Amino acid sequence: MGWHEWLVLWCAVWGAAALVGVGMSLAGLTKAQRTVRLTGRIERVRAPRHGGSRLGGISVVVSYRDPASGQEVTVTNDGERGEMITAAWEGREIGVSHPRGRPHAYRFSNAPEQPSRGLGRPAFALFLVYVGLVVLVAIDRGWPWALIGSGGPPAILGAVQLPWAVRVRNNRLDRLTAMETVPGRVVAVLKDISVDQDDGPITTITPVVSFTTHQGTAVTAHCTSHLPHPAGAYDRDVTVHYTAADPADFTLDRAAEHHSEKLAVAIHALAVALLAATAVAGAVLLRR
Amino acid sequence: MTTATPPRATPGGLALGFLTGGVIGGSLAAFIGGCIVGKASLVVTGLALPAAYGLLFFLGTLPRRARDRAAVPRTALAMIESREAVAGEATEVPVRFDLTVAPDDGPAYRVAIRQGVHLSELPDYRPRGIVVVEYEPERPWKVRIVTRPTPAWEERAADAHLDSAPGPAMTGDARKGCVGGVLTVLGLLFGAASVLLLSGADPFGPDASGAAPQPSGTVVSSTTTVTSSTTVTSATGTVALGAGRSMLDQGELRTAVESLTQDAENRRALTVVVQERLLTIVFAPAGGQVAGFDPRALPFDRVAALVEDAGTTLGTGSPQSWQLTADGLTGRLTLRVMVTGDRGAGSLEADGQGNVLRRNGS
Repeated sequence: MGWHEWLVLWCAVWGAAALVGVGMSLAGLTKAQRTVRLTGRIERVRAPRHGGSRLGGISVVVSYRDPASGQEVTVTNDGERGEMITAAWEGREIGVSHPRGRPHAYRFSNAPEQPSRGLGRPAFALFLVYVGLVVLVAIDRGWPWALIGSGGPPAILGAVQLPWAVRVRNNRLDRLTAMETVPGRVVAVLKDISVDQDDGPITTITPVVSFTTHQGTAVTAHCTSHLPHPAGAYDRDVTVHYTAADPADFTLDRAAEHHSEKLAVAIHALAVALLAATAVAGAVLLRR
Repeated sequence: MTTATPPRATPGGLALGFLTGGVIGGSLAAFIGGCIVGKASLVVTGLALPAAYGLLFFLGTLPRRARDRAAVPRTALAMIESREAVAGEATEVPVRFDLTVAPDDGPAYRVAIRQGVHLSELPDYRPRGIVVVEYEPERPWKVRIVTRPTPAWEERAADAHLDSAPGPAMTGDARKGCVGGVLTVLGLLFGAASVLLLSGADPFGPDASGAAPQPSGTVVSSTTTVTSSTTVTSATGTVALGAGRSMLDQGELRTAVESLTQDAENRRALTVVVQERLLTIVFAPAGGQVAGFDPRALPFDRVAALVEDAGTTLGTGSPQSWQLTADGLTGRLTLRVMVTGDRGAGSLEADGQGNVLRRNGS
């Protein structure tokens, strides 16, 4: 078998996998479709221990109503329970999901989740088909097709999403401007050391900040940016800027957030330009 | 209270370990060996074998995994009889707990478990301390300490007093011991050796360098490959056929020549040497003023007849090997067939159309 046959086989296998995935989605058999998604409510936030572990997130007690029995169920984020809860306050709504018929295998998400059709894996399989096709065309018709294939469609996708990214950036900047400011305090600094075979010990420092909003909500949250010398930040007073509608959206440095938001859109635009230039270079080389 | 017993190393488990080792060793040997000697069949085997084994393993363990998923853990109180932490550089340390678990609906029992605990939480787990645990009723040795219990269980643990259950503590560690490890390694070696022996691939042999086999006077090939390998450089091109195939087979020589000239339509040859399973073409330098000839213009249909003619008419006895050399250095294509037999060697000369010009017997 030559390269050509191998690539055709590659595309066929991933194409078949994508079809199976789409078929399962249409039949309602994907894992995402068999997941029960509920809305839970944080009933209690346990104070983090200074020097403790960040793993598992902020310890919370969550209650939700079981749709099968109609009863109120109380659970905690003990063990591996999905997304790490990094900002918590009593009354916060979070997502609770579990496989159908297995409520004990519940998982949390930072926000209530929308139903999903489970098309992520088929989409990835399609992407692999596309990669195979690009390589196939590049071998059959010349390597400039690799430039066109790898630059063209991603550039179009990126360009289509650029207005959306700008809109998101503007909304974020508006939210940053409208943020309220309150005093806060670093109530704990969490420390985790893991040992890497090659790099030796790796230390992760996670300060935990606590603040009370103007509405009286006591928020406890991991704060991993814009805090100088985090290892020695325990008991330090800080100024917290937060969004009134969602205190999980907070920062200690609004100016830095402004800057990074603008930078993100610039990087997006630059990436689109680079991808487009790659595709154009491929087209020019083909014409020669 | 259930009477389930913890798992122990079984012959089936040991055999599975041996088989897994064999698959890993065999697939690795096939893939690496195939890449080195250029055998597509070996590379495919190296990829397909673990995939097929993984699929079989997946299907075979479906019922067990379905049972595991369906198992609903129960919560209970437990008392720490003893604990033993292994210190290290990491903040999460493995701790061996000896617990007395007291289910609400059954007698207490002893169990030994291992669980990672952050150093800052280690003082919370003192001997005689009460903790909340989760266990599986069907497999009571599968116990996990709940580090963040619900408020209701937290209150129960704060007020509880438990008595020690009699030992010995059951343990959930299915220890295969040295035997299991040795069997897995043996399986790995067995798998690797089997693949190399069965395929005949010798990644450390002379073919490993990727150099083209040199033409020789006799055609006694030691290769056992069932496919062909093609090597093309700027100066030469070589096709080596696998076992069971011959350049005298219908269309084989033509296909081999075309496989070496497909990338350069007008490439001319100085010499073409054909043996039983080996074709070597010495190409004319590109752009040079050397005459040469088009290797695709050889009288392919006449080659088998010429070899047979040489083997039967030159008095060399029972033919043992043959070699056909096509030269175009002088501008005129000449074919020379040399045969060796049990009574000597002889040669036959033919023109570019395959017409015999002269014979030189032994």
